[in-house]
Amino acid sequence: MKKGVLFSVCFFVIAAFLVGCGAKKDDTIKVAVAGPMTGSIAKMGSDFKNGATIAVEEWNAKGGVLGKKIEIVIGDDASDPKQAVAVANKLVNGGMAGIVGHFNSSCSIPASEVYNRAGIPMITPASTNPQLTDRGLKGVFRICGRDDQQGKVGAEFVKGKLNSKKVAVIHDKTTYGQGLADEFKKNLSAATEVVYYGGVTIGDKDFKSVLTSVKEKKPEIIYFGGVFPEAGLMVKQAREIGLSSPFMSGDGTIDPKFIEIAGEKAAEGTYLSFSPDPKNIPAAQAFIEKYKAKFGELGPYSIYAYDAMNALLTGIKEAGSADGKPVTDKLHALEFSGALGKYRFTEKGDIAGSPYVIWITKNGKFEEHWKP
Amino acid sequence: MLLQQLINGLTVGCVYAVIALGYTMVYGILEFINFAHGEIYMLGAYFGIIFLALFTSSGLAASNFPLAFALTVLLTILFCSAYGFTIEKIAYRPLRKAPRLSPLISAIGISIFLQNYVMITQGATDKVFPQKFGDASFNFLGASATSLQLIIIFASGLMMLGLHLFIRKTRTGKAMRATAQDMTMASLVGINVDRIISVTFIIGAGLAAAAGVMVAAYYGLVNYSIGYVAGIKAFTAAVLGGIGNIPGAMLGGVVLGLIESLGSAYVSAEYKDVYAFIILLIILLIKPSGLLGTSVEEKV
Repeated sequence: MKKGVLFSVCFFVIAAFLVGCGAKKDDTIKVAVAGPMTGSIAKMGSDFKNGATIAVEEWNAKGGVLGKKIEIVIGDDASDPKQAVAVANKLVNGGMAGIVGHFNSSCSIPASEVYNRAGIPMITPASTNPQLTDRGLKGVFRICGRDDQQGKVGAEFVKGKLNSKKVAVIHDKTTYGQGLADEFKKNLSAATEVVYYGGVTIGDKDFKSVLTSVKEKKPEIIYFGGVFPEAGLMVKQAREIGLSSPFMSGDGTIDPKFIEIAGEKAAEGTYLSFSPDPKNIPAAQAFIEKYKAKFGELGPYSIYAYDAMNALLTGIKEAGSADGKPVTDKLHALEFSGALGKYRFTEKGDIAGSPYVIWITKNGKFEEHWKP
Repeated sequence: MLLQQLINGLTVGCVYAVIALGYTMVYGILEFINFAHGEIYMLGAYFGIIFLALFTSSGLAASNFPLAFALTVLLTILFCSAYGFTIEKIAYRPLRKAPRLSPLISAIGISIFLQNYVMITQGATDKVFPQKFGDASFNFLGASATSLQLIIIFASGLMMLGLHLFIRKTRTGKAMRATAQDMTMASLVGINVDRIISVTFIIGAGLAAAAGVMVAAYYGLVNYSIGYVAGIKAFTAAVLGGIGNIPGAMLGGVVLGLIESLGSAYVSAEYKDVYAFIILLIILLIKPSGLLGTSVEEKV
């Protein structure tokens, strides 16, 4: 008797869930924001979420898309490729119309396979590894630049502006970090000598042994392919052992936490390749105001998440359907104007043109420094 | 360059050694590996940040930073010792007579619990330890050491010496040695074994907490998962030196730190974490009792 009661309760709970899902599917269009919502770079995930939320709220205020309200679903990959695949499967089963994400290239690449199999388009606001769009997956887009463009700008700056003869290259062995460092190294001219090249482990806290070896080689600049927790510790520890060469890194390091970890004094003069400052772009001002009022200071990728979500929703609207295939086709043909300017996707799913400039860390703030 | 690498390695090695003492002391007496020990170290780092923030807001850190830091370390040791004491009481004592696997599993459970507890209460993102030590560094023979590095080396040395004297010279120390040799006999001659075990956990946790605060100040970056790697490394150090052997843990820690530092300097930094475990494998193959381990023969 008791068992029977239990079973019927279970049955009703499951049935209620199914009914709940069914009812929801009809009157909303679900889009997902996926990225690291927990873990050491969880801030990037919440920047994604905040930027995309503003986009969705704007659309919903105008009546949604295709006459339906838009609902955001959050997927947490914790910067872990395994979890990214699990989350991707969950989102696919949840009936998403499209994905804005992920953050880490090492998560975006395996997750894109899952989305591709299900025919759901994904637009990443931040994954810059070339491999993401070089594998010929049709529904994979990015609204940021590529590491080969980014590494090239860094190398041009080192060759042309700084005129450095000796360069040390360190990376964090991840898809993003090593990819970026390798692209940088590839684009250096013969006149520049790479005096040190090596990897460190992500999550490690002690880089003094590596830095002592680097110091021995007397480089004029140290290029680090990696993200801000390691970059911050590395700059701090370099100054502690008396290694005073300037550092240079990529878009993964451009976060206020980098300066907080390294200390304002140690971080001074660090070069970073990143896209132009949205503060100088007139079209971005409205978004920035809105973001500041709602969530506070703008994160480096908030505005990309906003543009990515807008691109996705525009694609759905133009296609007149929330199905993967027509939306993907539409996105490839789309000329779209976002907060950062005009976008057009190339055949591969990248954006046309190289967006990178060089920034510098000055008095505890990042500012634009050099344009190629 | 060699001198600089030795300083780098010694700093890290001292930290490993201090944490390793906790593993080895517990193993010496209870013959089980306290996997939650690394989490005490992590708690120490967090308590350090919390107390220092408290002193900063009360203005003490601005007027007299050395005093504020010393108080932070002291309070952290106190709180973490309480954690160590409580963990033993609730998670290990009820299992004293159970099969040897049970307390081990209980320890892993406590470790998971503490990690998630800190993650939920303190957040999953990295916390930055306020940098108040200045960047005064001491240069000699082309190498440099920051004031914090010297503090870590000096304080670790002092703690190890203190523990050594405590175990060799005091009555409680003598009782601890007796309990480690034979728990039943020790209780027959009137030693309160429960109390000795509590003392062991309190001391071990206090040492780990001190290591936690110092490391948090040294690297300046703390998150809820730092206890895992530190725990594994310190455990390796304890086995390297001969688990159950206190001077062995100290030696093992320092040797491990130096191997890591020299290995990543002269071979390749990409395999930094691998060296520790290669050395561990070699030691286990050649001399399973560890560098200084003779504890097996003491037991009859």
